[in-house]
Amino acid sequence: MMPHRYLLEVNGESRWVEGQWLQGQLWLHLNGETFVVENETKSYGQGQSGKAKSDIVAPMPGKVTKVLARNGVAVAAGQVLIVMEAMKMEYSLKAEQAGEIQKVDCQVGDQVALGKVLVKIKPSGDAP
Amino acid sequence: MSTRRFLRVAIANRGEVAVRIIRALDEMGIESVLLHSEADVKTRAFRMASHKVCVGPAPTAQSYLNIEANILAARSFGAEAIHPGFGFLSENADFAEACAKAGLVFIGPPASAIRKLGDKVQCKELARKLGLPLVPGYQGANQDVGHLIAEAEAIGFPVIVKAAAGGGGRGMKVLRSHEEAFDLIESARREAQSAFGSPLVFLEKYLERAKHIEFQVFVDCTGRAIHLNERECSVQRRHQKIIEEALSPSLTPELRQRMGEAACLIVEAAGYRGAGTVEFLFQDGQFYLLEVNTRLQVEHPVTEMVMGVDLVKAQIRTAEDEAVFPEHQIRAPRGHSIECRIYAEDPELGGVPSTGRIGHVHWPEGPGRRFDYGLEPGDEVTPFYDSMIAKVIVWDETRPRAIQKMLRVLDESVIFGVKTNIPLLKKIICHPEFVAGTMTTRFMDRHFPGPVKREKAAGEELWIKEALRWIPKSVGESATNAAGNSPFHSPWRGI
Repeated sequence: MMPHRYLLEVNGESRWVEGQWLQGQLWLHLNGETFVVENETKSYGQGQSGKAKSDIVAPMPGKVTKVLARNGVAVAAGQVLIVMEAMKMEYSLKAEQAGEIQKVDCQVGDQVALGKVLVKIKPSGDAP
Repeated sequence: MSTRRFLRVAIANRGEVAVRIIRALDEMGIESVLLHSEADVKTRAFRMASHKVCVGPAPTAQSYLNIEANILAARSFGAEAIHPGFGFLSENADFAEACAKAGLVFIGPPASAIRKLGDKVQCKELARKLGLPLVPGYQGANQDVGHLIAEAEAIGFPVIVKAAAGGGGRGMKVLRSHEEAFDLIESARREAQSAFGSPLVFLEKYLERAKHIEFQVFVDCTGRAIHLNERECSVQRRHQKIIEEALSPSLTPELRQRMGEAACLIVEAAGYRGAGTVEFLFQDGQFYLLEVNTRLQVEHPVTEMVMGVDLVKAQIRTAEDEAVFPEHQIRAPRGHSIECRIYAEDPELGGVPSTGRIGHVHWPEGPGRRFDYGLEPGDEVTPFYDSMIAKVIVWDETRPRAIQKMLRVLDESVIFGVKTNIPLLKKIICHPEFVAGTMTTRFMDRHFPGPVKREKAAGEELWIKEALRWIPKSVGESATNAAGNSPFHSPWRGI
């Protein structure tokens, strides 16, 4: 008998499902697909306090290799503000919308965690 | 020529390729010495190796790229030879030379051949002398960014900038206009420096509709070069290969012969030994030499499947001065083989790396299915190394059957604890262009440029409800408590 394998039944139909709880989340393999059960998960960058959609957030744990943002400077959508390195690859983090940089919260060489706000941007469309 | 027999061989690598080499050594009755970093103690290779020596801390510069530490450790454990795997020091001529000086056999080509072929600039010069077709480009010594931009303009955009010492997609950027050239060249140089210890780059015309086709070559101890046909690796993202196959669905026998001869010509001219790969771009019936990889390739299994060979053993036997692949034993390629690289990344977030502790894993074994992996349940995917955690390889009688089998195998493969690109892989191999075999290196940019969202199956909620009701928390959670104590869970805090 394989571990983490369960025979479940829905409306009289039986199926083998693989599942495991890891750090409070249920991982499932069902119908040929692996996924984490949604209602148990909290995704990064959403619903966290002090984090706006326009901010630059670390999309993975890694090292900051270049900071091109400065406080008070206006930026255009698509402008590269931070360069990060993770797993030996470089990733350019760009401004999603035009605005003004309010705060740069990282330095070259910083090791940052997933979801960390690196640059706070005030979108130019916003009222003061 | 007298042959020798190794008793103990060191492996200067990690992950699934370390496992691959340990297995070959085991089968040959040779003891293995795994040269590993502090971060790689809880790995499959560590469990399998006969001996293990820590060569340094997690960052690659201090461990897997540290020439002195690797040689010292190998010698201290009485290894007679070192297998470098791929990546890391495998294409480093200084390392090959340092091994020889220390009395260790480097399982790979001689340092002189690595210099001639591995340095992409020198390689192109050699190819030009031999009359092999090349993509127009610039590989001069003037590395001033302004000069590079001027050269890029002379070649005509789009132009690709590449690390002279590199491979595997690192330090590679496509320049599409004058405006973005400066930033991208700088970025390529930083990546090149970080990954290969050299910021040297060169430029090449970027072919928009090209296929990536490469020939597996092998030069045995007598200096005779043969080729074991080609692989097609056009499915790439950020210049990293994702899916490879043997043979290519696009070559005619006539082209295969011409490209194979070109591949043999250049490695023979360089005084090569062992396994190597000659990469070509193929567009509108023309082929252009791209580069030579002076090592085993990640995708070597697809060649092994269709040709019935063991390339790692052949490398080791060649280092023992034994003749391999006698002519009467080289068979015609049979059937079709496909490899999918499993990356620890989140396809719903456009492929950002996913780290964490591996939970339950299931590889659906069966005829014509091969799984090369380096991590087992409870092991950790750390942010220090490449995010490729496994390779799934299938073989079947025909390409359509191999595609069908791969789809089935990916459906049945289970990895919990980190997100993987399996959902993306399934979409790729079902795509009409892949099925037709007409994909080019732009395939991923054109068809899968962004995040891949999961579509919920009909009636899925009912099954999830049952799963939430019946799957006990305690079974999986015992492993998770330990994860909280892992030094790599939040690796940056401790450094």
